[in-house]
Amino acid sequence: MAVHISALGEDEPRVIFRNIVQRPRHKTTGETVTVVGDHNPALLRYFDCTRSGPRSAFDGNVVYQFEIMEYILDFGFDRLGADQSQIDHPVLITECACNPIQSRCRMAELLFESYGVPSIAAFGVDAAFSYKYNQQLGICNSDGLAICSGFMTSHAIPFINGEPAYEACCRTNVGGYHVTDYLKQLLSLKYPHHISKLTWEKVEDLKMEHCYIAPDYTSEVRIFQKGAKEAEEKTRCWQLPWTPAPAEEQPSEEELARKAALKERQGQRLREMAEAKRSSRINELENDIRGLEFLLKQLKQVEENNVPAFLRETGYASKQEIESNLAKAIQSLRKAKGEQVETEEKMDASMADKYNLVNVPDDVLTPEQLKEKRKQLFLKSTTEARQRAKQKRIEEELEREKQMKMEEEKRLENPERYLEDLRAKYRELSEKVEQRKRLKTNGNNTNGNQNGSGGVGRGERLNAAQRERMRLLTTAAFDRGKGEDTFGIKDEDWQLYKLMSRDNDDEEDEKSNEDEADLARVSSRLREIDPTFFPKSESGSSTAEPPRFRPLTKEDFQLILGVERFRCPEVLFQPNLIGIDQSGLDEMAGVSIRRLPCKNQGLEERITKSILMTGGSCQYPGMAGRLEAGIRMIRPCGTPITVVRASDPSLDAWRGASVYAAAMQFPNQTFSRTDYYEKGEDWLRRYQFNYTL
Amino acid sequence: MEAEVVEAEIVLPTHLNFKRVQMYEKYPKGQARGRHWKHLKQIIQAENYQNYPPDEPNYVNIESPPPMHPCKRICDITGFEAPYFDPRTKLRYANAEVFKVIRSLPNDYVQRYLALRNAAVVLK
Repeated sequence: MAVHISALGEDEPRVIFRNIVQRPRHKTTGETVTVVGDHNPALLRYFDCTRSGPRSAFDGNVVYQFEIMEYILDFGFDRLGADQSQIDHPVLITECACNPIQSRCRMAELLFESYGVPSIAAFGVDAAFSYKYNQQLGICNSDGLAICSGFMTSHAIPFINGEPAYEACCRTNVGGYHVTDYLKQLLSLKYPHHISKLTWEKVEDLKMEHCYIAPDYTSEVRIFQKGAKEAEEKTRCWQLPWTPAPAEEQPSEEELARKAALKERQGQRLREMAEAKRSSRINELENDIRGLEFLLKQLKQVEENNVPAFLRETGYASKQEIESNLAKAIQSLRKAKGEQVETEEKMDASMADKYNLVNVPDDVLTPEQLKEKRKQLFLKSTTEARQRAKQKRIEEELEREKQMKMEEEKRLENPERYLEDLRAKYRELSEKVEQRKRLKTNGNNTNGNQNGSGGVGRGERLNAAQRERMRLLTTAAFDRGKGEDTFGIKDEDWQLYKLMSRDNDDEEDEKSNEDEADLARVSSRLREIDPTFFPKSESGSSTAEPPRFRPLTKEDFQLILGVERFRCPEVLFQPNLIGIDQSGLDEMAGVSIRRLPCKNQGLEERITKSILMTGGSCQYPGMAGRLEAGIRMIRPCGTPITVVRASDPSLDAWRGASVYAAAMQFPNQTFSRTDYYEKGEDWLRRYQFNYTL
Repeated sequence: MEAEVVEAEIVLPTHLNFKRVQMYEKYPKGQARGRHWKHLKQIIQAENYQNYPPDEPNYVNIESPPPMHPCKRICDITGFEAPYFDPRTKLRYANAEVFKVIRSLPNDYVQRYLALRNAAVVLK
């Protein structure tokens, strides 16, 4: 993950950087520049980084993108201060165990061609260098096992007489990257509104600071499940920066009084306006009535002959019209004044004359009269229906009033219990409604966002109506036989769409409407009675969101790391947790020993006596104990097991390589350009590094 | 280029003296560069490991086998031991409270939890 480069013989690598490359474009000039490794994020504001993310040259632990590799090497050499026309000295570069030949070849080509390196001793395995270094330090013996846990992979490599035995090597594709990724996903799912704070770098810092490996996962988890005090101590809490919202000051007394007076005044003004309008309308109507009455009086006085002429002047067609207008005006006046309109009685009175033809038998009437009769029948039935509806409404009102009275009585006799009942009912109803809503919107979402994946996406959430729809779609419409598609020839076929229509969700809707109506009623009752009641927000969003009526508190901005602290590194020992079907670190040791070509008891014991942990991802507290326990479970009873940690897990590989390169016999192990070009790829395959000098 | 950017030296210079072939010559602008890099799977396939004796260690040989221990079942949400399994959402849960939480999760959260375990429904 990190690149360490230095010249010969130094104690510390001169240049250390993360091997990622970013190619953003400069905002003003527009040129694409290359930025390698970690950098100050503040400086990047001059660049447009939206289209270029950090890219790595690795896929797993194998280099496959040599362009990026070249950028990295450029950067490294540049920082080392190379400025002659070519790199003049041999280069020692590490690789992964059993690197594919292609990768090796291209790396060699890259170094030879682009940099003009005279010879490479490439390609030592980093774990081996680390082991050799520690062997020199005396931490481990010449026969042993190196368990190296890296960024993307972990290896278990046995060493016999100081040389790695690659036949018995074992690799699992789990590493620090997977642990960090797991932690990041878990935290994002648990705290979705803080997702912007959970960047990769931050999560990695969290991991390095807080994660540990439990000696036994099950017992540790039980402590947390019981909620014992130990669990509290082991839980860490991360407080994000948070500013409390400025508290609203309670409007003072004067404010309230002022606002109330204002409202009063406005109400008064509105009322006055309404009053004025009504009185003006009354005046108008009275004027009209007076005018019409005057007209009628005049009409009476006028002689018979002059009637049509008189009428033409006033603009009315006949006397009846004037009279009917007058009657209408009187009625509206009465209504405006607020008196009861006596339509009921008029109805009864005129009913007899209007429906005079109804009771007369058919054969007596002429065709015109028959038409009349039909009209009257129709009118009669509609008015009767209207009356019946009104009656029912009055009855329902009475019912409801009765119920309200009963409830009031119940409340008065036992207020506490009533309140409790009401609250419980509210909770139930609201849960039901919310769940139905959620199911519906989920179903509708997946129905709506088809994404070209064909039909309803996730099949498990269909309810009865949706299933029915799907069935209709697939069978009735398309199952017409192989010849021609005869759908649509008959008119009944199109009824299919009516059946399928989503608006026809009658059954669902009725139930949900009832529930919602009940909910509304109950919540309004509660609001009246109970001073501490807050209606739940109707957002229907995921339950992780805080309800909006409560102001955000300090606790909302805390991220709690409890079980995650040891659940994430557990992935190294149980890759099953993230779905990778391979052995964990402790089993890998067993597999590795099993795969040894020459088996004799002494050798195995010697190996288990010196087990070395290296690699950046083995620095979790508690790892050594867990490894030991795990290996003890696999090996025969009583074998001596010692697990030691490398003196500096991240840098030991580099130190080993550095020591190696400084040794006298180093040039013997290198191969030069001419060698490479003569002997070709095949030879490179068999090129093995000799670690003991 | 702004002064502080130049000073900080985070940008790789385009022309480097020690290189024989410069980057801009090798990868001229405008050409699609990303597509001709083979991914690991393709590299391994191209290696043709079956032509070589199986005893020799190579990249594929040294992979570790599936584990012998039975896999531990932990709750997808809390991490506790999970003896129970929800057939509708296919998540594992530890007790009734967690079950309530699971049943109230929207679908995409369920899929993300499943994806953690590599058990999500993948539609192509």
